[in-house]
Amino acid sequence: MTGMRKRVTIAFSSIVCLLFLSGMLSLVELNRVSHGAGDILAASRRNVELAKEMLDAAHEQNVALIHLTVLGEEAYADDCRRAMGRLEQVLMTAREESFDPSFLDSLSFATIEMKVMVDRYLNRRTEAAAQSAEADSAAMAEVPVDSLGVDSLLMKAAVAAAEKNDEEDSVRWYTEEYEAVYLRLTAAVKAYMTSTQSSLAPRTEQMKRSAYRAVTPVLISLLVMIAVLLMFYYFMTIYCVNPIVKMNRALGDSLAYKVPFTIKEELKDELLELKEKIETLVTQSRHRS
Amino acid sequence: MRIDVVLRYVGLVMLFIAAFMLLSAGISYLSGMDSAFYPLLLSALLTALLGAFPQIFVEKKVQLSGKEGFGVVVGSWIVSCIVGMFPYLMWGGEFSLINAWFESVSGFTTTGATILNDIEVLPRGLLFWRMSTCWIGGMGVVMFALVILPSMGRSKMMLSNVEMSTLAKENFHYRTQMIVQILMVVYLGLTILSTLMFKVAGMNWFDALCHGMSSASTCGFSTKNASLAFYNSPLIEAVLVTTIIVAGIHFGLIYATVTGKRGNIFRSEVTRVYLGLIFVASLFVAISIYSAELYPTFGQAFRHAIFQVSSLITTSGFATADTNTWTSFAIIILIFVSMVCACSGSTTGGIKIDRLVLSAKMMKARMKQQRHPNAVIRIKLDGVIQENDTLHAVTVFVVAYMMLILLGSLIGALCGLDLMTAFSGAMACVGNVGPGFGEVGSMDNFAAIPAVMKGVDALLMLFGRLEIFGLIQFFFMKWWN
Repeated sequence: MTGMRKRVTIAFSSIVCLLFLSGMLSLVELNRVSHGAGDILAASRRNVELAKEMLDAAHEQNVALIHLTVLGEEAYADDCRRAMGRLEQVLMTAREESFDPSFLDSLSFATIEMKVMVDRYLNRRTEAAAQSAEADSAAMAEVPVDSLGVDSLLMKAAVAAAEKNDEEDSVRWYTEEYEAVYLRLTAAVKAYMTSTQSSLAPRTEQMKRSAYRAVTPVLISLLVMIAVLLMFYYFMTIYCVNPIVKMNRALGDSLAYKVPFTIKEELKDELLELKEKIETLVTQSRHRS
Repeated sequence: MRIDVVLRYVGLVMLFIAAFMLLSAGISYLSGMDSAFYPLLLSALLTALLGAFPQIFVEKKVQLSGKEGFGVVVGSWIVSCIVGMFPYLMWGGEFSLINAWFESVSGFTTTGATILNDIEVLPRGLLFWRMSTCWIGGMGVVMFALVILPSMGRSKMMLSNVEMSTLAKENFHYRTQMIVQILMVVYLGLTILSTLMFKVAGMNWFDALCHGMSSASTCGFSTKNASLAFYNSPLIEAVLVTTIIVAGIHFGLIYATVTGKRGNIFRSEVTRVYLGLIFVASLFVAISIYSAELYPTFGQAFRHAIFQVSSLITTSGFATADTNTWTSFAIIILIFVSMVCACSGSTTGGIKIDRLVLSAKMMKARMKQQRHPNAVIRIKLDGVIQENDTLHAVTVFVVAYMMLILLGSLIGALCGLDLMTAFSGAMACVGNVGPGFGEVGSMDNFAAIPAVMKGVDALLMLFGRLEIFGLIQFFFMKWWN
């Protein structure tokens, strides 16, 4: 390679490239760390949202079941099914979005347990309602017309007693069977929320470590750049600055004290040409004088 | 001294190292772009830039002076160890600053000591880089500088002076240009041959190549946490023992024997002592550990004994057994072979057999001189009369070597290490052996020792690799005449 301009341009370009590389590295690494932090925050927020939705759905179903079992309002059966469906939907979403689906295992178990229990109860209730309607109409048909007044009263009392028994059964079912499953489900939802939150701790720790790793390449690039800059300074000093200073001094001495123009240093490129031209000039001027 | 010229040649070595980083990045890419790809690629770019920068300004026409050659050698070692840290630091894991420095120095000086508790967790690219450092170091960074510097005439000899024993040069009897050829043929040949043999013995290609590189350079790095004990294969152990024993012999002698210029490798007195010492030491160790009922059969005891003796005498440091559990007698023999090490002109470190033989002859001559004060006694090695300067240098080297171990032990004790760990750690680092005893035993590592001691041990490795005085002189170059 010849030509000082070419050397300086290449050296300067490589420094610029390294600067650019360092800058890009910082950006990429910062971006990565920022994404990491954003992911953790988003995961945390989403986890709380999903847990809230699950608890809402479970609560909604619970209220519907109370209406159904205690107050005997059949219209709430649909609400109950809808709430159960919502809970399942949220659970499925949570499973899809979860970093570690194993956290959802106990929750899934509790949900399935509840779904099976509630479905059975609702089916049983529907079947019982249908059967009792049939039994009522059959019993009414068999009763003689002349005794209808007395017997119908008895019948109404019997139906009311049977309904009361059903309601008592429902309340018993609610308190003895359903309530325990409901509590298990809500406990599982809370456990899901806390366990997922606690799983974020190692990820945060990992992010802390990766932040160190993110800084390292940039630091190394900077150190290399400092080394390159020092080399650049050194080369510029020995190949450009020092020769010019020495030539200037030698030319001054030559003009002032008429001593020969001599540069001991090894020169190259344009500086060598400059030295040779100055030597020629000095020699020519000596000859003329 | 022309620093610009030194920078140029150190830069060429950097370019060579960058090429190996790129190769490691390639392996990382082929292994499914593992986590080491990005650190290796970036390190290669930065190292290449560092190496290429001086080439812009300094031209290759120059002849190096002795002082400059010396600067290139020591400068190359130090800068190689520094840039060798880059991939480790960028990858992270167990590599803190001091750990990365330790691992890099350990690789380039072919010591083979490690700070890693779990080697198998490293991605393939980084494992290959680890092996590359010891392979480059095994040949000697400077030897590469010689290969890639076609314009350096007589200064080649000056370069090899620093990192190869002076005795080795005496024995080569080749022209300087030939030395490079010999080193390349023997070293490359040994690496390829051992890789193939490891493959045949049952390793996969990657492990075979890594162990081939590590054993040819007598480094001792392995891709497994349990080192060679992982394979528990007598065949693999046999291949490794053969490779490291051959790698511990004078490369010039191997070349001469292979090319038919010298009929028999055993004509060399040093080689005879070297191989004899391996056999006798292995036998004694085997008898000792068999007597202590550590192994059920003598055959098994001898198998482990010859492996450990060969591993330590060649400064490799591979392991198939926990030598801490062996008898005191066996441990003392192992410490002795760890100090003596193999022949000059090989990639091994330590005092070297040549100096041991000369020291023994000097003692014998001294006793003879006391009996016959007027006698003129000449000391010969392989039939060549040794000059007084050479003998003096041997004495000084052995004393300096011992003093360095003592200093290392002292610092280790100051850092709170027990006597065995401090002493054997220092000994293993100065001799570029790798494992010692105690906490830094054959089945342990240097992870648990204090950070200060890791730094000191890394310095001891450099001292050992540069034949002690090489590094000392570097700091006093300004006052050279």
